[in-house]
Amino acid sequence: MNKAGSEKAGALAGLRVLDLSDHRAQLCARIFADLGADVIKIEPPGGDGARRLGPFAGDVPHPDRSLFHWFYNLNKRSLTLDLHNPDGAAVMRRLARSADIVIESFSPGTMATLGIGWDELHRDNPALILLSIAPFGQTGPYRDFKADDTVLTALAGMLYVNGFPGHAPVRPLGLQAYHSAAHYGAIAILCALFARDHSGEGAWIDLSMQEATACAVEHVAGSYFENQIAEPRRGTLHWSRFFRVGKCRDGFIMHCTLGDWTSLIEWVKADGKADDLIDPAYQQVMHRNVMAEHLFDVLDKWVADYPRDELLEHAQMLRQPYATVRPPEALFDDEQLSARGFFVEVEHPELGRKFRYPGAPFVMNGTPWRVYRRPPLVGEHTGAILRDEIGMSADEMSALAAEGVI
Amino acid sequence: MSRRPLEGIRVLDFTWVVAGPVATRILADHGAQVIKIERGSPAPLGNRKLGLQCDLHRGKLSAAINMSDPRGLELARRLAEKSDLVIDNFSARVMRGWGMDYESLRALKPDIICISMSGLGHTGPRSSYVSYGPTLQALSGFTLLMAENDGTPAGYGYSYADMCGGYTGALAALAALWHRRRTGQGQFVDLSQFEAVTAVIGPALLDISVNAREQTSFGYDSQEAPAAPHGVYRCAPRRDGETVDDDRWIAISVHTQAEWDRFVVAIGSPEWTSDAKFRTLFLRMRNRDELDAHLSEWTRERSAEDAMELLQDARIAAGVVENGIDLCERDPQLRDRGFWPTVRNPNGASTHVTGIPFKISSGSGEVRATAPEVGADADYVFGELLGLSREERDRLAAAGAILT
Repeated sequence: MNKAGSEKAGALAGLRVLDLSDHRAQLCARIFADLGADVIKIEPPGGDGARRLGPFAGDVPHPDRSLFHWFYNLNKRSLTLDLHNPDGAAVMRRLARSADIVIESFSPGTMATLGIGWDELHRDNPALILLSIAPFGQTGPYRDFKADDTVLTALAGMLYVNGFPGHAPVRPLGLQAYHSAAHYGAIAILCALFARDHSGEGAWIDLSMQEATACAVEHVAGSYFENQIAEPRRGTLHWSRFFRVGKCRDGFIMHCTLGDWTSLIEWVKADGKADDLIDPAYQQVMHRNVMAEHLFDVLDKWVADYPRDELLEHAQMLRQPYATVRPPEALFDDEQLSARGFFVEVEHPELGRKFRYPGAPFVMNGTPWRVYRRPPLVGEHTGAILRDEIGMSADEMSALAAEGVI
Repeated sequence: MSRRPLEGIRVLDFTWVVAGPVATRILADHGAQVIKIERGSPAPLGNRKLGLQCDLHRGKLSAAINMSDPRGLELARRLAEKSDLVIDNFSARVMRGWGMDYESLRALKPDIICISMSGLGHTGPRSSYVSYGPTLQALSGFTLLMAENDGTPAGYGYSYADMCGGYTGALAALAALWHRRRTGQGQFVDLSQFEAVTAVIGPALLDISVNAREQTSFGYDSQEAPAAPHGVYRCAPRRDGETVDDDRWIAISVHTQAEWDRFVVAIGSPEWTSDAKFRTLFLRMRNRDELDAHLSEWTRERSAEDAMELLQDARIAAGVVENGIDLCERDPQLRDRGFWPTVRNPNGASTHVTGIPFKISSGSGEVRATAPEVGADADYVFGELLGLSREERDRLAAAGAILT
């Protein structure tokens, strides 16, 4: 990351976001916070549910030590507010008058029941953009159905294609249904902001996590609409048939047969392992495609005695798109990521330590991504926000606190 | 037709394969004019009127230019001058070699935005690595941790890194465009698809950096609130006429005690559910193999659809593990929301493509056209946009600068 430029404003500076979302959708507002927007996380007194999810720093369960919370709430401020109390909902409406964006992931209809639905918020602030993220969106026969990330990956066609044929489908790493929904949510808000620039009108966005997840599956819909087939599970063989995992001496390698075939096969031949792959027919991409299983079987025998890293270095030298199949721990020692400053240090003064966080998903040279503040403690900014943003008096605050609203 | 949010924005699109085209398809769906610059080689990666290629390129314009001809390069530079955003997914040297990198284009158009979605980024010792989605998944840990219980890698059969690179690229484009609208300033965005996919691993990364804990495959351990039952369970075969499909599964997640109580009633309170070893979430997680075996007996006797309905009626998170046919043909929710829009091809045949996962009350995105054949929009792009006469265009085509 461009440290020298870190005094420049972020790309989304000047936008105010109220984040009411639960653990499923908090990445969306974090994207805005990382790019410089002022994001106020509004959570129930005592802290929101994400803070109860592990893992925890040092394995000590505590609302301010949840790494789940840390990951999804970096750069946000925290305000505690009981939205189920009418006085709390009234405070929310006051905050929403000066906000650009509200993000929520309650069950459909809940916001209206609380008196902070689209009708109220829009009447108070016609330029407001409200993003509602729900498992199945705000309409349709599944509208009120329950789903977590696992169930969403199932219903979006993402789960079925993972694993070996005949075996049970396998879960992907990370909450990718939630992550897809969060990214599409951020995209949706930016689209609505462009529309608002033109018309002055805000918008209510209805986002379906199921649909966002289906958008993040590469080949399933295409295969169906092209050939009316259900893509099967193929183990590690990529649907394009140009990639498969092989086992080498000290781990796994990703084979790829899209590089220059001649140089690859000369190398394999020099190692005495080319078998029938020297047949000129393999020069044809389509032949490699048809023969993929056999071809990778031969290549697997070739790599069996190679050390993983040596194979990668030599392959890349020959411009073969090979890769090592690494554990995620390796990312923290990765030369490429270090050179680019991908991991950033975030200071947690309460714990007397700095921790390395994953950083910018893209490097904006004019408007750097940056760490503005560590994830907030429960209600850390309640007083400051109520005083500075809506001019609440100390008396009113005490009254609300006594009621348990803030 | 309502106004789409990004109308008036022009994108010059040099991307190919999957990640880049996903990014620009999102922009095109929302009204940006995306001009796909094709170069004759490589040839299109499949039939653009159907399936994945239609999905990736729908709603875009296509112009084909010979980028190794100086007159072709000049056309591309003139198009960049008329664009808001130039996007590619090459390594750094390609656009620089053409004089189409940010520094060069900024001299032509000071507020231009350039986004390069390379594999590993434009800087750093491995910036010249050749990569594809599956190899980036391998480097970042996704491949190793999609594993069977014994640790054998079991995926991916597809490129999540490309889809993730795609939505991240669209986000980067919109953020840069927004900043420009506010300040008048363009910029260069160096998007490493490796970093984009690494960024979505999630809290597991902090478990490594904060707790120094080695990550192993999660299997069906919940990656959010603890749950048991939690996983996929085999259901009764599905019969459609002559065909029998015995690869039917349901995903079920029972997180809280209240959910467990409802779940037990929903499945008819079989005797095993009252066994003391399943009394609390802690015990259910500890005895999950046995729990899963009992539950599988129950699911095996039901269709995935029936089991889902029964459990959802009891407000339990449950869903069919949908295959391509379930997803694109049978899913009542996706059908009800019109998630598979129809595109009409010039020969009159129509097909469906993947929809847009959100609706905006002030004017949603919309898929308005099928994918173009290579060079299909030459008249508009070189004639209307660059103002070249028919004769000039013909001359450039005859000279091989414009590809037809």
